[in-house]
Amino acid sequence: MDPVADGPDPPGSAATVLDTLGEEVLAVMFPVSICMALVVLLITLLAPPSSSPSAPPPVTAATLVYLESPSDSPAQKLVGALLDAAVFVALVAVVTFILVALYYYRCTGFLKNYMRFSAFFVLLSMGGAIAVALLRRLDAPLDAPTALLLLFNASAVGVLSVFASAVPILVRQGYMVALAVIVAAWLSRLPEWTTWIMLLALAVYDLVAVLAPRGPLRMLVELASSRDDELPALIYESRPTVGPAETSSSYAPAMWSEESQHRDSAARSGPNLYDRVGQQDDSGPAMVEMRDLGSTSRDMATSNQAVTGQTSNQGGNAQHAVIQIEQREEEEETAPLVSAASANPTIANEEHTQISSSEPPEEEFEMFESSRGIKLGLGDFVFYSVLVGRAAMYDLMTVYACYLAIIAGLGCTLILLSICRHALPALPISIMLGVVFYFLTRLLMEPFVVGASTNLVMF
Amino acid sequence: MTVAAGVGYALIALGPAFSLFAGVIARKPFLVLTLLSSTLFWLISLIVLSGIWRGFLPLKSGVWWPYVILILTSVAFQEGTRLVFWRLYKKMEEMLDAFADRISKPRLCLTDKMLISLAGGLGHGLAHAVFFCLSLLTPAFGQATFYVERCSRMPFFLVSAIIALGFLVIHTSLMVIAFNGYGERKKRDQIFVPVVHLIAAVMTLINLVPGGCLVGTPLLCITAAMTLYYSWQVVGQRITEHQHRQS
Repeated sequence: MDPVADGPDPPGSAATVLDTLGEEVLAVMFPVSICMALVVLLITLLAPPSSSPSAPPPVTAATLVYLESPSDSPAQKLVGALLDAAVFVALVAVVTFILVALYYYRCTGFLKNYMRFSAFFVLLSMGGAIAVALLRRLDAPLDAPTALLLLFNASAVGVLSVFASAVPILVRQGYMVALAVIVAAWLSRLPEWTTWIMLLALAVYDLVAVLAPRGPLRMLVELASSRDDELPALIYESRPTVGPAETSSSYAPAMWSEESQHRDSAARSGPNLYDRVGQQDDSGPAMVEMRDLGSTSRDMATSNQAVTGQTSNQGGNAQHAVIQIEQREEEEETAPLVSAASANPTIANEEHTQISSSEPPEEEFEMFESSRGIKLGLGDFVFYSVLVGRAAMYDLMTVYACYLAIIAGLGCTLILLSICRHALPALPISIMLGVVFYFLTRLLMEPFVVGASTNLVMF
Repeated sequence: MTVAAGVGYALIALGPAFSLFAGVIARKPFLVLTLLSSTLFWLISLIVLSGIWRGFLPLKSGVWWPYVILILTSVAFQEGTRLVFWRLYKKMEEMLDAFADRISKPRLCLTDKMLISLAGGLGHGLAHAVFFCLSLLTPAFGQATFYVERCSRMPFFLVSAIIALGFLVIHTSLMVIAFNGYGERKKRDQIFVPVVHLIAAVMTLINLVPGGCLVGTPLLCITAAMTLYYSWQVVGQRITEHQHRQS
């Protein structure tokens, strides 16, 4: 959460640095916080009363190999959970590669429609199931035709809002958060050990998929950027509600999340649609990516020298053509001061460096900077929320600790993003911090704090 | 009714913090970030402390001296973290100033710095209230309430909510005082901060005596009010000085 890391503020408006600094960061953190809060609320509301036996966890793609039962020994659980996670990640990887292949052969329309279908399916079936459970829990009477009508309409608007540009950004953001909440609430029904191992495995997978030279996500990004095309994917955009109308197509590619694609494909493939959809949705989201296109362009616009310097820096790290293209356009559009000649050499340099540089250090987050603010894949939302939701099943204290850890991880990711300026995976740092804080809180802090505060001794 | 009780306790502890947040902090994104990082900072310090004390838990309920040691070490450690926080803030301030120069905006002014210290203090207080009060409030939303044996007149949740409120005020104003003291190199304020923190913590020790919560909690509230008043004075003095210097 370093201030300096945040994008520079838009020129003009504010009197002091303090007023606008960090706006983009908050624009991402705010929906993430809302999403986590909703998931925690859902989980605490829907948690079965402790007396009644809880329903067995659903058989999903994440529990194909091993279904945890409370009586198993820890070793059994560990091995089973590892197997589950391995299968799950393998599934995700396969789906990702299929998506990349589909995208490579330009089945974009198919992918988009598939994504619409999966969004519809998630909203209608999983969202419907959650809504029914909620209504039942709250003893709210609602007749079936009305419920169906409302649900169908809500889903239809959701589908429209996924790709149609005419939909107000607030509606789209709201639906993105809703999708993430639904999937996360669904996923958090996984057994405990499987959840933890799966989260860790997905964090590692995210790292590899974005970082490795032949990583599927990276290939997808590069493909999209080389085509200057919009990737059909579910991504949360944090652009300002009322923003300048910079609707150049170049931004679009930055926003895609491959997750959504994964989800879709996963959902299709599964014969037993329900569970599979849920899980694969999850897997899909894992690949979510964040892009902060806006700050880059703003930087450029504000100070040309800095811009060129940054671009060259980026060249070292940036391996995605997307960014370059966007920068180029933005420079031409918004910052006429930068001569095209000066801009282009840096780009060329970047490309060289891209070829030569194997990989940047840890900056593999799938985040991009664009003129429209930071973009975060839905998968990140989902898995952050799964982590917090899992923590909510233990105690509120772990929820707060995990929330802070995840937000801190997100902040670190954003700082790295502002340094290296290319797509980075948003999961690894946050998930690692979250898991570490969960166990520290549960094992160390809780007995201490509870012991002190039940004696009313505080400091 | 039960939900109302739970929400009420939560609002007692966090209501002022919430209005401060909505009225001051939320307007400036950077202050929100400061608040979050300060909360995280406090959480880390608490985890480290509990890691140190984990081996000695649970403390025997009849004996009071382990609690004294616990209070002393905790306050000392947390005052240490406050120093670290100050150092980090100084670095951040330099970076902010450099950044402001780069985009040719004015540097941080006095009120900006004070706002940052307020956000930092509120973060500490918020973390305290969240971990010591809010996270234990879950049962208060249920069907019953809970009394501690030593404090049979007030529900446990009410006492902890009031204590959390007191500490929230104390943490917030102490951070403002401390930042001013460090910035101006005033020895008096630098000593005042840990002393008040220690006094407040020792006052919670009164709760160990049967029926002590009826004495300790009001005393803590008085301490909080006095700290708040003192920080108000410090800030007012500093601002008038600043205005004199400028004019």
